[in-house]
Amino acid sequence: MKQTIDQRWDLIDKIAKQTITFGEYRHTLKDAIGEFTVKPLTGLPIAIAVMYAFWSIFGSFAGFFTDGFFVRLFDAYWLPWLQEVFPGQGGWLYAIMVDAGGIEGGEFVLSDNCLESFGVLTSGLFVAIGVVLPAIVIFYLMLALLEDIGYMPRLAVLIDTMLHKIGLHGYAIVPTILSLGCNVPGVTATRILETKKQRFIMMTLLAIFIPCGAQIGIMQDVVPGLMGWILLYLIIGYFIFGYILNKIVPGKAPEFLIDVPPYRRPMLSNIVKKVWGRITGFFKVAIPFVLLGAAMVGVLYQLGVIRFLGDALAPVFVGWFGVPKETAGPLIAAFLRKDLAVAQLSVIEMTKYQMITAVVLVSIYFPCVATFAMMLKEGWKELLGAMAVLTVVVFAYGGLIHLIGILLGVA
Amino acid sequence: MAGKSSVAVIYFAILGIVTTAFGIADILVTAGASEFAYGILEIPGDLFRGGWGGVIVLFAGLFYLSGIRNFDEIHQFSKIVMGSILIWIMAGCDIFAMITESIPSWEEETGPWFNTLSDFIAAYAPPYSPAVLLLPFSLVVVYYIRKREQEI
Repeated sequence: MKQTIDQRWDLIDKIAKQTITFGEYRHTLKDAIGEFTVKPLTGLPIAIAVMYAFWSIFGSFAGFFTDGFFVRLFDAYWLPWLQEVFPGQGGWLYAIMVDAGGIEGGEFVLSDNCLESFGVLTSGLFVAIGVVLPAIVIFYLMLALLEDIGYMPRLAVLIDTMLHKIGLHGYAIVPTILSLGCNVPGVTATRILETKKQRFIMMTLLAIFIPCGAQIGIMQDVVPGLMGWILLYLIIGYFIFGYILNKIVPGKAPEFLIDVPPYRRPMLSNIVKKVWGRITGFFKVAIPFVLLGAAMVGVLYQLGVIRFLGDALAPVFVGWFGVPKETAGPLIAAFLRKDLAVAQLSVIEMTKYQMITAVVLVSIYFPCVATFAMMLKEGWKELLGAMAVLTVVVFAYGGLIHLIGILLGVA
Repeated sequence: MAGKSSVAVIYFAILGIVTTAFGIADILVTAGASEFAYGILEIPGDLFRGGWGGVIVLFAGLFYLSGIRNFDEIHQFSKIVMGSILIWIMAGCDIFAMITESIPSWEEETGPWFNTLSDFIAAYAPPYSPAVLLLPFSLVVVYYIRKREQEI
């Protein structure tokens, strides 16, 4: 039956009367707080507090499991047991799987902790389970809580102006924060950015300046007092090189529209699903790479490749970056596993500033193999471009950090 | 009603002044690179808890102070609530750190895995950080939130 225009309007009025309540809208407390968290003057203090809570709880939780239980479990029980039962002490297989040890007075000496043994079943498992697992669990739990409460879109709005300076927009906070857990989903999440220019800038910055959860976990464990300085250097680098890339990379950086939802009470079932999905995803990607990386580092050490490269590149490391010659090996091995490289750096004798420089170099050095593979999936041109930028950044920023140290009289 | 509001205004003004003073003290102690302890109060001197945390406590104080004028207006009241939320975040982190530190024995080689009961309880003894000391006073805002909800 065809209706006239008047009849249609009558029908609309009838439906409206039944479904719409008219009256004065009163702002609730939740609305007012929601508004304040996106305004810079009031939103920034809240953002600073949220980030503080994120890292404080991260440190306490990871420290509780790693230093409170796993260090002892691995160093006092697992390592001595494996050192005893694994056959062929001093042989190459023993060195790769259990303990590379050291030579003192011409004799083979066993390591006394899992950070120094560099075996697949010792350092590899310790890093994967003892260090990375607690760090990743709490990281993804906190992230899921922030997402479900409804804070992440507000953070995106708040940081939008700042990220526009480097050719990105507020949504770029999603791949950035995801990368702090693992660079692999971070690189995948760059697809939410609209233009090729934005995706290239984001992917390059992630690969260079964002340390993953495994690396942060091990930094928290072996150099906790220097974490602040290391992260500060990385954040400054993120914005400096982002700004430069925005100026030289052709393309557009459009505005973004975002629907900011109201604050909500998080649902336990959602949180559990998200955290479980992300952790299993991370472990499917990361654990094989941690163990394979540990094995490959061991093989390369046994074949003398890393020592050879370390000796050859030592003048660059000592002269240009201002770090001790011994750091060359771990820095080269960082291509395979950045977390293991930080662990290796922690046992080398050097000044605080050299340690900061060395760990920053590990971070801005080549992305880990898993991220490398993911970037290749996004396109070989983008990967080559990112690698070219990365090479320039490592030398420019590494040299700059050394120069700052010289000027401050600490290098 | 006006009388009750003026009590709240005076209360949060005093709390705001104390909180701001604690925030400034946190930052100054951190700048001096040393810890400060007096009675049940302990101000951490490290850059993370003292410096970064001090800035947050300072902001909490400023939120309280900026929210006391026209207290009954929802946006002004929400500033007071945000001041309390910042204190809850800070104190929550400190208490969570206390809990995680009180459970393991932190023995490296031998001995029990878990803390003894006396050491476990001792971990919760004073001195406390400024945020933990401010926590019970910041909870008063919950009463005013409930009261406002009932009025609506």
